[in-house]
Amino acid sequence: MRLKLQRLHSAPPWKAFAARVLSVLLALAVTALMMAMAGIDPIDLAAQVLSATFGSSFGLEDLGLLFSPLLFTGLAVAVGLRIGAWNIGAEGQFNIGALCAAGIALFVPGPDWALLPAMIAAGALGGALWILVPTLARAYADVSELITTLLLNFVALLLVYYVATGPWLDPSGRALATTARLPVRLPEVWGIVHWGLPIALGLAVVLAVIFSVTRWGYEVRMAGSNAGSARYAGMPVRRHLIAVMLLSGALAGLGGVMEVAGTVGRLQGGISNNYGYLGIMVAVLARAAPLGVIASAFLMAVILNGGIVMQTQGLTTNTVLAMTGLILLFAAIGDELAHYRLRRLEGRN
Amino acid sequence: MNIRHLSRRGFLNMGAAAGAGLILPKTGLIRPARAQTALPPVAEADAKISFAYVGPTADEGWTWAHDQGRQAVEAAFPELTTTYVENLPYSADASRILRRMVGEGANMVFVNSNYGDFLYDVADRAPDVAFYECDGRTTLPNMGTYYVQHWYPSYIAGVAAGLMSETGKLGYVASFPVPSVYSGTNAFLMGARTVKPDATLQAIVINSWFDPQAAAQAGTALIDNGADVLFGIMDEAAYLQVAEARGVKAVMWNTDIRRYGPEAYISSIVVDFGAWYVEQVRRRLAGEWTPTEDILPLGQGVDRDAWGQSVPTEVAAQADAVREQMLGGWTPFVGEMKDNTGTIRVPAGHTMTERELYEWNWSIEGVTGVDG
Repeated sequence: MRLKLQRLHSAPPWKAFAARVLSVLLALAVTALMMAMAGIDPIDLAAQVLSATFGSSFGLEDLGLLFSPLLFTGLAVAVGLRIGAWNIGAEGQFNIGALCAAGIALFVPGPDWALLPAMIAAGALGGALWILVPTLARAYADVSELITTLLLNFVALLLVYYVATGPWLDPSGRALATTARLPVRLPEVWGIVHWGLPIALGLAVVLAVIFSVTRWGYEVRMAGSNAGSARYAGMPVRRHLIAVMLLSGALAGLGGVMEVAGTVGRLQGGISNNYGYLGIMVAVLARAAPLGVIASAFLMAVILNGGIVMQTQGLTTNTVLAMTGLILLFAAIGDELAHYRLRRLEGRN
Repeated sequence: MNIRHLSRRGFLNMGAAAGAGLILPKTGLIRPARAQTALPPVAEADAKISFAYVGPTADEGWTWAHDQGRQAVEAAFPELTTTYVENLPYSADASRILRRMVGEGANMVFVNSNYGDFLYDVADRAPDVAFYECDGRTTLPNMGTYYVQHWYPSYIAGVAAGLMSETGKLGYVASFPVPSVYSGTNAFLMGARTVKPDATLQAIVINSWFDPQAAAQAGTALIDNGADVLFGIMDEAAYLQVAEARGVKAVMWNTDIRRYGPEAYISSIVVDFGAWYVEQVRRRLAGEWTPTEDILPLGQGVDRDAWGQSVPTEVAAQADAVREQMLGGWTPFVGEMKDNTGTIRVPAGHTMTERELYEWNWSIEGVTGVDG
């Protein structure tokens, strides 16, 4: 009798899920080990992180404020992955969404009830427009969206820096390198947690339903797993690709709206706080499932909040970066391993 | 975040503006922002003093200098605890970290750069903690501001730069278009123009206080454009190394970092916050602390560094003569002054106040690149 590794075409869901959980646990264990070797008590630190995050309403409110933008960017990347498009540009679309919303709030007069929907619409539209060129280039010229969306991030960031420190600079002269405080704010639902969080959670559920029960969602998934056969079956693959990528940009743009109108209150360089890039990790960990994004964005929010505690304990943010990197590394390995199974071969050869 | 805090802050801003004319002459170190009750005393052994730094303590620059101040506090009050966080992001994460510092029991928090609302939102909700914002222009009942009158040593260094420049083109590696950059570029060029009337200054904004790679690129671009003396407001030494490699001169900030470019080094705007930090902590422990707005004057927290080895004696002497005049109370920042669009911004006969210098937000004629 011999054992043989056999690679399956697709990993069974339970195995993939187990690999995910295991990869997170392994990354935590490796980080703890490294800390112990550096003379830091990881148990004590973990206890501090958990009590600072879950032990007070301040901690929970901070967690909520981290959770919400990660949901938006995580959903943005996940939606793109459904049709096989890597939106690495959520960071840029997030910035542009914030910029559009801030522009409406600062320069359009009107009551809050009219301005807030206008800001949301403008931000979503801005995010979609920011991914328009990469989308068309991918759909009609097969230009890799990986590169084009990534490069536009830097353009978006510099554009925000330019308007926030130039034409839109706070005229009071008391705030540096930022616009004036927006006169319109997204209302809070609990403590300092604003409507961005319930809206993001709602969107995740809506997207999950769309992808699992609608014909459109089915066709998108088909086009994502095998564009050739989807096309052969008569599905409008290109049209779906364009729609999905624009939706992805709009979702990231919405995240920017919520951040500028709910959390920060001013437009400034660096408002995206790397949420766009972290969204890639959130989506990959969730295997691009909208409901999975809720879980992985929450996990990421806890880790990032833990980073805050570590920093006040004298550890550098690089520890957190290394930990998130480890999780992704283990997840990728686990993903591949979940495709294999051991088969017993009855020896006859 | 809510109307109540907004209106209170707006009210305080009005008070600060009204008080702007009352800034003491350069010899006065500290003035209370407004009369109010002090925070209660804290026993030294129970006290926790926290520092939030914009960069890493190993930058040999701005944050390193502030960390020397933290160490001076520890030396002066051996029983208290100090903590610090490096690389405080300029984002909502700053609020999270500062809130956490408060949660961990800090009695006093120094933030060594301007964080605006990210700091005020936390300070508003922690009335028993004393806060200081470096380079800030807003005060709260529990938050003061501190900075240095760097425009005087910048002007002195500008005189030396003007004497040593052959092309008359000065370069400046800028962080953001903020008042400290406007006052630095303007003062530097004004000093240079006293000895080289047609000198100009080109700035490149790199959107960071600490980005050695971007600073080196900006320095290279400025030299390619003809600049033969570089100045800037970086927390590290990258453009000094570029100047050394390219055979031009440089004026630095924060500390003596001539070893990164001994031949290029003209001088540095050196800062020393030690005595000031110790005094603020003493006041906090003693129960005397009320917020202040302090801009440390020339010779008392900020100065030019000892001249570099390639600075000729007569250049040093000529620049130091200006320094002596300034220590005697003379100021070069007198109208009429025009901005770089030709508009008169300081009328003839008006001497810019320290507050106006601190809030300088326009470029003088001859400066390009700060405001786009």
